[in-house]
Amino acid sequence: MLLAGGQGSRLKVLTEKTAKPAVPFGGKYRIIDFTLSNCVNSGLDTVGILTQYQPLELNAYIGNGQPWSLNHNFGGAHVLPPYAGSEKSEWYKGTANAIFQNIHFIKQFNPEYVLVLSGDHIYRMDYSQMLDYHKEKNAECTIAVREVPLEEASRFGIMNTREDGSIFEFEEKPEKPKSTKASMGIYIFNWRLLKDYLIEDELDADSTNDFGKDVIPKLLADGRNLFAYAFDGYWKDVGTIESLWQANMDLLDENVPFHLDDDTFRIYARNYANPCSLIGKSATIEHSLVAEGSTVRGTVINSIISTGCTIAEHAVVKDSVIMPNAVIEADALVEYAIVGENTRIGKGARIGAKGQEGLSISVVGSRRRIKDGQVIYNAAQ
Amino acid sequence: MKLAGIIFSNIYDDTMGDLTRHRTVASLPFGGRYRQIDFALSNMVNSGISAVGVVTKYNYQSLMDHLGSCTEWDLNRKNGGLYIIPPFSTGHSTVYRGKIEAMACALQFLYRTPAKYVVLSDSTVICNIDYEDVLESHVASGVDVTVVCNRAAPTFAGERRDLAFRMNGNVVTDVLTGCEADKKLYGSMGMFVMEKEKLIHVVEDRVAHGFFHFEKDYIQREFINGTIEIGVYEFGRIILRNEDIASYFKNNLRLMKESVRSEIFNSNAPIYTKVRDEVPTYYGTQAKVDDCLIADGCTIEGEAENSVIFRDVTIEAGAKVRNCVIMQGSHIKRGAELNCVILDKEVTISEDTFLSGAMTAPAVINKRRVI
Repeated sequence: MLLAGGQGSRLKVLTEKTAKPAVPFGGKYRIIDFTLSNCVNSGLDTVGILTQYQPLELNAYIGNGQPWSLNHNFGGAHVLPPYAGSEKSEWYKGTANAIFQNIHFIKQFNPEYVLVLSGDHIYRMDYSQMLDYHKEKNAECTIAVREVPLEEASRFGIMNTREDGSIFEFEEKPEKPKSTKASMGIYIFNWRLLKDYLIEDELDADSTNDFGKDVIPKLLADGRNLFAYAFDGYWKDVGTIESLWQANMDLLDENVPFHLDDDTFRIYARNYANPCSLIGKSATIEHSLVAEGSTVRGTVINSIISTGCTIAEHAVVKDSVIMPNAVIEADALVEYAIVGENTRIGKGARIGAKGQEGLSISVVGSRRRIKDGQVIYNAAQ
Repeated sequence: MKLAGIIFSNIYDDTMGDLTRHRTVASLPFGGRYRQIDFALSNMVNSGISAVGVVTKYNYQSLMDHLGSCTEWDLNRKNGGLYIIPPFSTGHSTVYRGKIEAMACALQFLYRTPAKYVVLSDSTVICNIDYEDVLESHVASGVDVTVVCNRAAPTFAGERRDLAFRMNGNVVTDVLTGCEADKKLYGSMGMFVMEKEKLIHVVEDRVAHGFFHFEKDYIQREFINGTIEIGVYEFGRIILRNEDIASYFKNNLRLMKESVRSEIFNSNAPIYTKVRDEVPTYYGTQAKVDDCLIADGCTIEGEAENSVIFRDVTIEAGAKVRNCVIMQGSHIKRGAELNCVILDKEVTISEDTFLSGAMTAPAVINKRRVI
């Protein structure tokens, strides 16, 4: 069950009209592709995708699930928006409530285990290994955790564990963290147990219907068997403009142990039948990724150019992420910036600059027209 | 469903030398990420055709692999969809010799499809054409067969027997096969529109009389007999005729011209191909790229100029590639230099190797060779 309803308000203009999981990433992907590809590569054949905020683009993107091989006669990809029931109709109030409202969906498949995920992180993970661990430990709930630096631990939900990996305490953003194991928001539950707790949680008027805040603490209080599953691969929350930019830049960094190019664990995405990229005579491209369907006649340095973009002659793109089908016209300069989908940056315009103190990334939203010669620094336009 | 389509995948295999030794001419890679049949298929799909028969003869493993379940072309359908038509040789027939015999294998497809008209197409002419427009002209003119032509007549390389027409206004005054190029002629693009019932009759009748060549034994012969009305539909936009290795090479490089690119690749009528889920192409700090078409999944660390580079190609730092067509999965190592070379798939060029052909006669390196 993939929670994809989040607004991602810290991505500002990029999520004005689209849900965070549908935000483009890495030249030809969208953020949700990573979690969906993880599911498929882990051998999952049924994925419920819970949508709520601005679902149009996300629904259209997922379609029948074919790009991820999730178009099955039984199972496959199911988009699950909130719905009107005969007794009551409501939005998804929290992560646990979203699953609660879809108990009937899960029942159809009568699974033994349910994997709960969120659709807004960049990482590669084989969930089948986590399930093996869950079974081996005879756990009732397993939570994936990763090590974070002690000084940052107070920003996360921290799992305090015994030597065997069992969890005895969960602290949400503790002031004095006792451990450095941060929850990744990836849970495996025994379905029968989860169902009972979801029903109980729904009846509790004081509950915020959230896995981290309500369901996990309740399970611990009841002395259930909870285990932490340590994950030490690359994992990036792309919830802010800076982290989204950084995660894109990580794709160019040889020292970061995360490469899109892994034939044994491919990331799948919907394909839009673009021709090959055309790299013109005047083009200079250094240390960059350029996706298909682009035309590059200008200079691209240390950047990600997504499918269908145009970088005109004498335009310069440096240290930036250009999202699909954007056009950077002649003599424009884009640096330390994210340019949204289908946006046009006019001739000679200047977008972004390296901040005075540390990094500060400028953003131009989707479907914008930036006038010729306009100057934009560090502003969400 | 007014139109059904038939694509001939093996006709003209022998004009492409080693490039078609292990594949059909239809599955010959072209334009960085396509195979020639993608253009024929996409044109049909974009014209609203939802039943397509692909007639095959031999070497069609790569074609079957490429087409798969045909989801990329939206041809995985309950009604219609894609039919692969291998040779149907029982007793009286052996493997076919021409389009008429090929269509004898496709008769079951023709009987079953509810379409009233059929488009026949080769896969060696690259263009972006709307067959609905051709059909409109065919129906309006009331002719027996409409042939899609352009004004630059084919060069008739090798064994090809393309049709050419001499015209007086709208009237065909002469039908030629295998003549020299002549600017006044209208050259067939290997695309025909006919009424289905008429086509079935022609195929059954010609086969019964021992004929097999659609162009010579039907169109030309009937014209001489005065028993056929031929319509010529003039296609005024850019086409690329891949008639032999030299023209195939030149046409690959022509795709870089903006005028050609914008005519062939039109976002309203996209060219579909098999999706391979490659990552975006990485350009290293020393990469130098001038006038190239580059697909996804490549690693470019060296220099490339005036070349078409297919998916998943690696050009190491210090390697130089000029005027080349480099197919999927090839690897050019440090210090190697290539000029006017066609590398088939998965070729490895070792360090400091120098290879050169000429613009009019490119060198061809066969699939999986290590040089």
